[in-house]
Amino acid sequence: MTRSARLGLSLTVLAWAGLGLAPLVLDDWNIGLLTQYVTYGIFALSLGLIWGQAGILCFGQAIFFGIGAYSMALVTLGKLPWLGDSQWTGLALAVLLPMMVAALLGWIMFQGRALSGAHLAIVTLCAAVVCEIAARRWEFIGGFNGLFNVPPLSAPNGDPLSTNATYFFVGIAALLTYLLSLWIGRSPLGTVLAGIRNDERRTLHFGYDVRLHKIFVFTVSGAMAGFAGGLFTTQFGFVSPPLVGFALSTEVLIWVAVGGRSVLMGAFLGALAVRATENAMSASLDQYWLIALGALFILVVVVLPQGLFGKLLALAPPRRLGRGGTR
Amino acid sequence: MQATIALLLDTANFTLALLLVTLGLVVIFGLMNVINMAHGEFFLIGAYVVVAVSGATGSFWLGLLLAPVVLALVGLLVEWLIIRHIYHRFIDTILATWGLSLVIKQGVVVLFGPGAQSVPNPLPTAVDVFGVQYPAYRLFIMALAAALALATYYLFFRTKLGLQIRGVIANRAMAASLGINTRRMDRATFAVGSALAGFAGAVMAPIMSVDPQMGVGFLIPSFLSVLVGGVNSLVGALIGSGVIGGATTIFSAGISQADAQILVFLLAMIIIRFLPNGIIGGRK
Amino acid sequence: MLQVENLVAGYPSGGRVLKGATFDVAKGEVVALLGRNGMGKTTLMRALAGQLATQGGSFRLDGRELGNCPSYVIANEGIGYVPQGREIFKDFTVEENLLMGVLGKPRLPNRLPPDIYDFFPVLGERRRQKAGTMSGGQQQQLAIMRCLVGQPKLLLLDEPSEGIQPSIVDEIGRTLQAIARSTGLTILVVEQNLDFVETLAGRALFMENGVIADRADRIGQLRERPELVHRYLSI
Repeated sequence: MTRSARLGLSLTVLAWAGLGLAPLVLDDWNIGLLTQYVTYGIFALSLGLIWGQAGILCFGQAIFFGIGAYSMALVTLGKLPWLGDSQWTGLALAVLLPMMVAALLGWIMFQGRALSGAHLAIVTLCAAVVCEIAARRWEFIGGFNGLFNVPPLSAPNGDPLSTNATYFFVGIAALLTYLLSLWIGRSPLGTVLAGIRNDERRTLHFGYDVRLHKIFVFTVSGAMAGFAGGLFTTQFGFVSPPLVGFALSTEVLIWVAVGGRSVLMGAFLGALAVRATENAMSASLDQYWLIALGALFILVVVVLPQGLFGKLLALAPPRRLGRGGTR
Repeated sequence: MQATIALLLDTANFTLALLLVTLGLVVIFGLMNVINMAHGEFFLIGAYVVVAVSGATGSFWLGLLLAPVVLALVGLLVEWLIIRHIYHRFIDTILATWGLSLVIKQGVVVLFGPGAQSVPNPLPTAVDVFGVQYPAYRLFIMALAAALALATYYLFFRTKLGLQIRGVIANRAMAASLGINTRRMDRATFAVGSALAGFAGAVMAPIMSVDPQMGVGFLIPSFLSVLVGGVNSLVGALIGSGVIGGATTIFSAGISQADAQILVFLLAMIIIRFLPNGIIGGRK
Repeated sequence: MLQVENLVAGYPSGGRVLKGATFDVAKGEVVALLGRNGMGKTTLMRALAGQLATQGGSFRLDGRELGNCPSYVIANEGIGYVPQGREIFKDFTVEENLLMGVLGKPRLPNRLPPDIYDFFPVLGERRRQKAGTMSGGQQQQLAIMRCLVGQPKLLLLDEPSEGIQPSIVDEIGRTLQAIARSTGLTILVVEQNLDFVETLAGRALFMENGVIADRADRIGQLRERPELVHRYLSI
């Protein structure tokens, strides 16, 4: 293992260890915030997986996040009586439903002469806008106002989990999601995905079923985003149409681009970093915060295409997560 | 009968305005291979130039005249500040112009507030068209947009400058090896494309709710027009705008506008699914 | 007129194909550049046309350094390029293609000279036809005229006979020779067809592994020294 790869690995382990020890130094309020950021981190991982690993630039990732959030809310509020109102069922539906929607959307987009690059970005962007409109129009899911009073994560006896317990639950979920993404990226499948990212046509001519690989990874990513959405709802207690829409889809893009699109941990930490900065700055910068965020985003894209964390590690070629088959 | 005529007029009206925005997108994409995600915000700036100028001077017409000039300058500035550094990194141009659209949108919120502004109708009379009382200003929009679209087509297909630009689109390296300064063509095209969007925003301001979200509202149908018509073709832009603009207006007549948007999107998805290169590309 | 010194170029990623080519071409000369495939001939041509960034060395036209100038500057300084595969604008008419040759040149009037169709009359017959519908030979004639109408001092010709029927190859060779003699046009031509080279060129350079490895100072030496041809062209 080269020095930089060792550094990358140590930093990754250190980051997770730091997250694990956070309750020792942070108060309840800040742990609550951190739980939200980690949830967004899972969401960012879902985009990092398709964008960073397979080169699929999706402008509608919130569609899956939002469907997951709505699924969780509908089940736990008892709006789907035949499913019961258990949180486990809710979480399962929050994974399955977005997964199926992603599979369907993936099938439409990657079928035949597949959409890619600009086409894909535009179609997914338009899809997100349309989903938001549809969510506003659908009274069953609360229409314009959304659904309220979604119960928080609870222990089996029905008591709500403590702040720290919720944090650890979400944190472990994030770690597992991360390990799954990492495993996909480093497996032979991940190598094919990297091939697709680098040169789709050539990968096709080597005899790989590019279409199937893309639909598969898109489906997995949809499931992850939905999972994050389900967890999100239990923390905020409500769902509303913007969760499936356009603004959130672009926020997650910014997190991943700023963190580092080609490194999964970069995408994850990007979400934490941007959200934490937003929390710290939005009070003082007020309405200028969004301008600053947009400008930061442009700057990162133009000057540091590898992102804040990716660039750090790109100084030496074998990146911390790229030792395996992915490169 | 009268309802049909009014509907046809509305369709032509929306289609022509959409065409101006779409043309800008298509020429910029065709020439520089840049998807300008901030294009909707150029439309937005155009509308707010009218708001600001007519607020300050009381003259709508001055605003209408200034909007394309302002946007041409904005286009040049954006090209110089951002695009020229990354125009060979396709995905990054999408992201960077995306960031730009956030900045512009929020900048407008800071300057003008998040609420809707209204621009008084500068031609508040109605004209009799085949027995239908139709707002004069909408007829004015149609005439102007049609003239501008024709001028754009003339520029691209009938002038020597247009020949050079189409040459750069077809084969950038070879055009450069024949002595054509491709970077200058890029700048000119980006400025023209931006000015078209800004003009469309300005001219539509009196009949739309002018708010910071209006750019996105126009960007989505014009993206769909590009996809439906065919990415790399000015004729495709016309066909795409016709399909999307026509479908939107006709659906909106029967059902709510939101439902119409959903239907139009589904229609576009079906077309793209079967003709991935658009109606023009599909035929080739 | 053209001085190339230690020119290095290759893939954008940094891989070298041209590894330090050095040679001169005098005004009015027609020089053939010979060598097997993959030896760097086309890379050299593209570097001289400005389509590839040079990674080292330099080249000058009439004393002016042009290494790393953008291609439109190089074209306006007087280097005309007819690439391998011709790269005409297929959707443009013949006339529009020819116009493209003058529109980028500020010092030329932006219309076609009246005698433009005298050299290859078939182009005049088809001036309103889409260029992509013509035969390979006609497209090659078009590509050459599109370049010449821009009045270059030096013409870079890459594989002009490739995939073209022999009678048209002859016609192109004779016409180019006549133009070169009457106008003093300088030509650097990459070519596999030795008959064509013998018709047109005055001397030859041999390329191997990205450098100029040998030369034939009279074109007659191609016949007198068959070992040269054998060594560098494997014929």
